[in-house]
Amino acid sequence: MDFGEQTLTLGQTLWLLSPELVLVVAGVLILALDAIRPRQEEKRWLPAVALVGLGGALIATATLWGCNARVLYVLSCDSFALVVKIAALLAVGIVVLVADTYIRARTRHQGEFYALLVFSALAMCLLGSAVNLIMIFVVFDFLSIVSYILTGYLRDDRLSTEAGLKYFLYGAALSAAMLYGMSWLYGLTGATDLTDIGSVLLHTEAAVRPVVLPALVLLAAGFGFKVGAVPFHQWAPDAYEGAPTPVTAFISVGPKIAGFALILRVMLTMLPAELQSLDLDWQALLMALAAVTMTVGNLVAIWQQNVKRLLAYSSIAQAGYILIGVVAASPRGVTAVLLYLFAYALTNLGAFAVVVAFSNQTGSDNIDDYAGLGKRAPGLAMLLLICLLSLGGIPPTAGFLGKLYLFSAAIERGLIWLAVVGVLNSVISLSYYWKVIRAMYLVPQRAEDRLTTSPTLAVALAITVAGVFLVGIFPTALLGMIESAAQVFFAG
Amino acid sequence: MNFPILSVTLFAPLVGAILIMVIPREDAKTIRRVGTAFSFLTLVLGTIIWIGVARAGAGDMSFTEEYRWIPAFNVWYRLGVDGLSAPMVFLTGLLTTLSLFYSARTIGERVKEYYFLFLLLEMGMFGVFMSLDLVLFYVFWEIGLVPMFLLIGVWGGARREYAAIKFFLYTLVGSVFMLLAIIGVYFDTGTFSILEIAAAQPFVGNIALATAAFWAFFIAFAIKVPSFPFHTWLPDAHTEAPTAGSVILAGILLKLGAYGLIRIALPFFPERFHYFVTDVPIIPIVAVVSIVYGALVCMAQWDLKRLIAYSSVAHMGYVTLGLCAAAAGYGVLAGEQNLSAAVSGLTGASMQMFAHGLITGGLFFLVGIIYERAHTRDLKAFGGLGSQVPYYYGVMLVTGFASLGLPGLAGFWSEFFVFRGTVRFIPVAAIIGVLGVVFTAAYILWKIVQHVFLGTLDKEKWGTLSDMEWWEKVTMWPLILGMVFFGFYPTPLLDMFNAALTALLSGLP
Repeated sequence: MDFGEQTLTLGQTLWLLSPELVLVVAGVLILALDAIRPRQEEKRWLPAVALVGLGGALIATATLWGCNARVLYVLSCDSFALVVKIAALLAVGIVVLVADTYIRARTRHQGEFYALLVFSALAMCLLGSAVNLIMIFVVFDFLSIVSYILTGYLRDDRLSTEAGLKYFLYGAALSAAMLYGMSWLYGLTGATDLTDIGSVLLHTEAAVRPVVLPALVLLAAGFGFKVGAVPFHQWAPDAYEGAPTPVTAFISVGPKIAGFALILRVMLTMLPAELQSLDLDWQALLMALAAVTMTVGNLVAIWQQNVKRLLAYSSIAQAGYILIGVVAASPRGVTAVLLYLFAYALTNLGAFAVVVAFSNQTGSDNIDDYAGLGKRAPGLAMLLLICLLSLGGIPPTAGFLGKLYLFSAAIERGLIWLAVVGVLNSVISLSYYWKVIRAMYLVPQRAEDRLTTSPTLAVALAITVAGVFLVGIFPTALLGMIESAAQVFFAG
Repeated sequence: MNFPILSVTLFAPLVGAILIMVIPREDAKTIRRVGTAFSFLTLVLGTIIWIGVARAGAGDMSFTEEYRWIPAFNVWYRLGVDGLSAPMVFLTGLLTTLSLFYSARTIGERVKEYYFLFLLLEMGMFGVFMSLDLVLFYVFWEIGLVPMFLLIGVWGGARREYAAIKFFLYTLVGSVFMLLAIIGVYFDTGTFSILEIAAAQPFVGNIALATAAFWAFFIAFAIKVPSFPFHTWLPDAHTEAPTAGSVILAGILLKLGAYGLIRIALPFFPERFHYFVTDVPIIPIVAVVSIVYGALVCMAQWDLKRLIAYSSVAHMGYVTLGLCAAAAGYGVLAGEQNLSAAVSGLTGASMQMFAHGLITGGLFFLVGIIYERAHTRDLKAFGGLGSQVPYYYGVMLVTGFASLGLPGLAGFWSEFFVFRGTVRFIPVAAIIGVLGVVFTAAYILWKIVQHVFLGTLDKEKWGTLSDMEWWEKVTMWPLILGMVFFGFYPTPLLDMFNAALTALLSGLP
């Protein structure tokens, strides 16, 4: 339903905010249940409540499909926002499934954990819709703070606490920088709404160019932090390693979805294509960021011995690939970014699900301990193999299709060198994914026992790997959705 | 609607692989039976496809299937076979069946994974030969990579890890650039259809992009063929792979590269190909060096398996040479004589693909058979085995003679047609290339026949060596029959190739 400029009734406003409202209710409900039902056995149902909440929000999002409206001035309910919400809700839902056994075994405080996850989904949903700098900053920090707490969630674990602190210090500095950049933009244009800023810039482009550029750099620092792009990535390896593994899974996916959604929205509304010279500056900035991020992430990953650190660097590199699509800034580029986000989310969560299943029983994240996993747990090993191949972009997985789209977007815009850097990096990346594959299949096993997988993890694995193949082989439905989302920025 | 025989053939191995996944791993017997049965099914289907193509006319695509796959990107699921691909589909079915039959007796470890991967590999190979859409082609091209990588890495010899990752990365580096070229070609022509692109000729008038795209395709395929100087992965991979893996590597996987050159590189960029054959003769030099250098390196080998691995470099050089002849003829095709010579070069190349599959497949089986017994492949350790294992000697002689191109066996015709085409357009390359034939005779006769079978027998060491078992004979006989049959009567094969390649060449603008 297209509401255009008309004033919304209260009912319509509530309807358009229903995904977020469902999440608020679910989060508060979890906290309340946690307080009034103190016995540990009863807390087994908290993840289920979280899942119901996320599912409810997903259904609410689905009913909104086709809407186009401004809600409360600062939020936009359009196809793009809805696709971001779907990705966010799916990702957090899978994280809940992955976390269940892991968290129960490690801490008594389960209630807040799931409540925080649900709130993180809320923050991501809002970030997908936000079209006003102030709103953007508020939810951006909301998401960051939730992520810090989750990272340091295991209070008694020294690494976890350290990881949370590092993540926090780094994030606080960079979001301050971003806020500073935003204040420049406001000072220059007198507006906080992205569309308004865009139209002011359009009229004053030549005059403001030298001043806008530093503001853009500051914004890029904040966004770069969120998606883990080089040189704003230093928090990632330590945070990934120290965080409880399900949280690692979450911070490797959730902030990336939110961050890229934000970059796309800000870039394409605030810097419309008519802004020739500014667009070029911004594009050059992103291009450099993309190339450096891919290369550094991949090269450093080669030396990692810990699977969580390895996946941390790999996810830095993945952010670099996604930036290729952002640089292209075309309908195909936006499609590629969203498609790759789905592919990456499914794949990386699948990989982390295996890592969680493995560490649940062995207590280790060391790649050397994966020796002989092909024999100890053939199923787990095969699923991890599929996920790693998808991360490396081998067909017929989702990762391949995503890369096909990303490289196409680059080549379509004539950015052949960027595509070349991208494919070379894919090759490099396979050399360290190979390290894990080698351990699983080629190195003789050290322990004889067979590993088992808990039912919730099995469900998470089934969903992710089925998704990896589904997106890779039958992408039509998803692509249709994503393409209409991409059109939001290019219609007219 | 017609029966989608190509899709059935393509996905039968996948069905088999999934079935194997649900059989408990303790039941190795059932796994072996199911695996072999499914590959045999594809062999039967492959035979039907061959007959069907022969009847329908080998110059056109038969059994075509077309469905939209990713409409937004104009990617289609397009399959079809003509006289060029049908024999390759048959060969794939044949060698996979023999490999799995042979492996039933020789692979005792992780049987389930082995059969599973082998069937996936077969699907990948079928897909490459059947695809008429570049994205589909690329998908299947890469699908085969991972199973082969694991087959070498898990079941291979002592240096298997190194060999496996080398194989994987070499092929991958080539193919990612091909992916970029595929995307580039798409944006130029608006389609991924192999036939439509060949008709449209991508990047006409843009020499720089045409050259870049041509080399991206050419190098991806040349790595797979493999052509000098991209051949260094091959000796390691072939030597370390398990016997059946070597058979498939040499028998089919190398042909994927050659097939890509004939089906894609030549028809997409005939002008560029022509340029790099005649004006800047890089490709003929590469072909000739592969032939001569490959053969010379064979002479220096003392490891029987490594020797045969290197012989593939030399023999696949003929394929590249045949392609050169066809490319050199492009632009001067007007005359009837020229067309016939160009087609002849290409027919020779295709014959070589088929014959080399039979022959080298056979040779790798034979190496495996002796290694199972002697636990060595060192040529210096053998001698005088002719009297100890006469049956094996006989089979090796026939296969070896076929390999050196003895008239009356399959290997002869390919060399004959390749040189017939080459002499007309690039006589110098033909003259040097023919040296390879001499060297081949030298290393087959001197290294293999003399060192293994002639001389005095070390009774103490080899006195207990047993001759071929029945299942080994069953594995070898179809290959021997193929070599002899197509040696005496190559017409069925020639007709197929000739019709398809005449259509391919005369269809070029």
